[in-house]
Amino acid sequence: MRAVEGTIRVAAIVAIGCLAACSGGPTTSQSSSNSSQAAPAAATIIKIGIDLPVSGADASTGIPTRNGAVQAIEEADAKGAPAGFTFVAYDLDDAVQGAHDPAQGAQNTRSFVSDDAVLAMIGPFNSSVAQAEIPITNDAGLAQISPSATNPGLTKGPDAAKLRTSHPDVNTFFRVCTTDDRQGAAGAEFAKKLNLHKAFIIDDNETYGKGLADVFEAQFKSLGGTVLGHEHLTKGETDFKALLTKAHALGPDFIYYGGTTSTGGGLLRKQMADAGLGATVFVGGDGISDAEFETVAGDAANGSYYSVAAPEVAKLPTAASFIDAYRKRWNAEVGAYSANGYAAANVEIAAIEKAIAAGGNKMPTRAAVLAAVAATQGQSSPIGPIGFDKDGDTTNPILTIYKIANGKSVFVDQINLKL
Amino acid sequence: MDVFFQQIVNGLSLGGIYALIALGYTMVYGIIELINFAHGDVYTLGTFFSLAILTGLGVSGELHGPALVLVVLVTLLASMLLCGITGVLIERLAYRRLRNAPRLAPLITAIGISFILENVMQLWRGPSPVPFPDLIPNPAYTIGGVVVTAKQIGVVLLAVAMMAALQVFIYKTKLGKAMRATAQDRDAAQLMGIDINTTIAATFLIGSALAGAAGFVSGVYYGTTWFFNGFEAGLKAFTAAVLGGIGNIAGAMLGGFSIGLIEAIATQYIPGGAQWTNVVVFSVLVLVLIFRPSGLLGESLPEKV
Repeated sequence: MRAVEGTIRVAAIVAIGCLAACSGGPTTSQSSSNSSQAAPAAATIIKIGIDLPVSGADASTGIPTRNGAVQAIEEADAKGAPAGFTFVAYDLDDAVQGAHDPAQGAQNTRSFVSDDAVLAMIGPFNSSVAQAEIPITNDAGLAQISPSATNPGLTKGPDAAKLRTSHPDVNTFFRVCTTDDRQGAAGAEFAKKLNLHKAFIIDDNETYGKGLADVFEAQFKSLGGTVLGHEHLTKGETDFKALLTKAHALGPDFIYYGGTTSTGGGLLRKQMADAGLGATVFVGGDGISDAEFETVAGDAANGSYYSVAAPEVAKLPTAASFIDAYRKRWNAEVGAYSANGYAAANVEIAAIEKAIAAGGNKMPTRAAVLAAVAATQGQSSPIGPIGFDKDGDTTNPILTIYKIANGKSVFVDQINLKL
Repeated sequence: MDVFFQQIVNGLSLGGIYALIALGYTMVYGIIELINFAHGDVYTLGTFFSLAILTGLGVSGELHGPALVLVVLVTLLASMLLCGITGVLIERLAYRRLRNAPRLAPLITAIGISFILENVMQLWRGPSPVPFPDLIPNPAYTIGGVVVTAKQIGVVLLAVAMMAALQVFIYKTKLGKAMRATAQDRDAAQLMGIDINTTIAATFLIGSALAGAAGFVSGVYYGTTWFFNGFEAGLKAFTAAVLGGIGNIAGAMLGGFSIGLIEAIATQYIPGGAQWTNVVVFSVLVLVLIFRPSGLLGESLPEKV
């Protein structure tokens, strides 16, 4: 009997350790697709790394973003890369077991760094993954542009300084989306506009979700709103009825959710009705901008609002030709961050071309490309002129608010928020 | 006070699903002292089988009357049967050869089987969440300010009914007696003419069939699933089985409902409680194991299965 009890204890400890250490589940390495094509033998290959989540729950936003980036690289190559060179996309997936994974992102970034042909990279999609990748690109001096990672601490303040481990004075991380201090603030202002005064805030405790929810909370309070509670989800949980019952008892006008669909947003929305919150408004950030949200939440998704840290491309005359080309190439509609992926790739391509020209048509160094990316100002793109401030943030901070009606996202408002 | 009772209802319905899964853990442990880590994935497989059957029957929305009863019964039984067969196959192919190996070998094998099932399901339905048809009408009843839905009642009733049926089976039938004998002393049971292989296979059949039932219930209850669902649920159900006294059927039930209730109450009454539920659950587990190493009901009943 003693041996039996011993086994139980050991197994219980194993189970607890497992829950603590890998609450995302046991990690298995995911095979990654490499979409590089065979290039003419004579030309020197320049690779642009793309690290985005293109499988699992994040795929419905990750794939359209990846497509935008790949399209830019293909167009640049078809139009004619500088003589003697050819552009190739080196495309990796950072989703493991169905969701974006910082460790996988870091591993992908190391793959890019160790390949001398990679001169710049695009990605990641998620802020938590960016945290894991920035120290690696900082160490290697590899320029990195994210289409969508919105956490402010990635570029500004002491949090950003901590990520620049090897070269504190060098920034390698840039982004073409705006940040959560604007996105959270825009959500708060929009909620006030809808005449919603009492908020119950739920976030997924990740870099992006918690950051967004904290900014929302501060801004909503400063606008005179009441915050009834702020709770954090546990990764892997699927039953939120107890939490929603708690929220319901406080009588909120709306629930603000900081997080992604894959970390609980969809199920949360679906279970609101069971807890008596069926008629309560649900507002989120761009983490629920994916089609997956409607799949998981079903009919309950209708009436939800969310912000996207990018302009509505369909409303921009500059994006019309991009959207046409995207439809032709991928036989699909653009995603919320497709144009951002496209813009990020074009910035890097332009920087590489500049570096080639400056270096007398030789294979440029990563440092030269990085300098050219950092110097980008007013480059035209489907989402408007792209330029970076000294921290690597976009100088074009436009946000869009959408509402889900009849299972489709409908444009509600566009906010240009200068803080 | 209404909120308290509402959380009791939430906790019981969540606990009902944990309890159904925990029954299978506890049965397998009782008879061969193996913690079958693949059990949580058999549960998810149950949801996927149910989904495939419903798709095959052409059901995509709410049903009523005799059609509803028929579809629910067919899907539930078919899912149980398919999961039961899967369980028997797993035992035959992976665990039987290791029956006399050091105890760590089958434990690690179970984790391996868990990975295999997860990846098979990922290949089958993709890594994204899969919606499950909303086939049961779900009227809500308000009793003294507490809202109870038909699905919540259904989960609890099914869990209790399954446990009762299992108790009757184990204590009143010949095969049940064989299981108890095998659990007590495998060699002695064999000497008494009990076919050990058949008995253990039957245990896996029943335990996995219960996981199949839980899989169907969770699909209907949550309306969505994905290939990795079983990891978290399996871990919680295993905890439930240990909490109640692993090897003890009433204990699995008690443990399942306890964990559901602890989660709901902790969420409500601890500020920021949603992120602390696992901490509270596992703290309770550790405390129980310190003071009652064989679980809540582990010592009072000497017989295990």
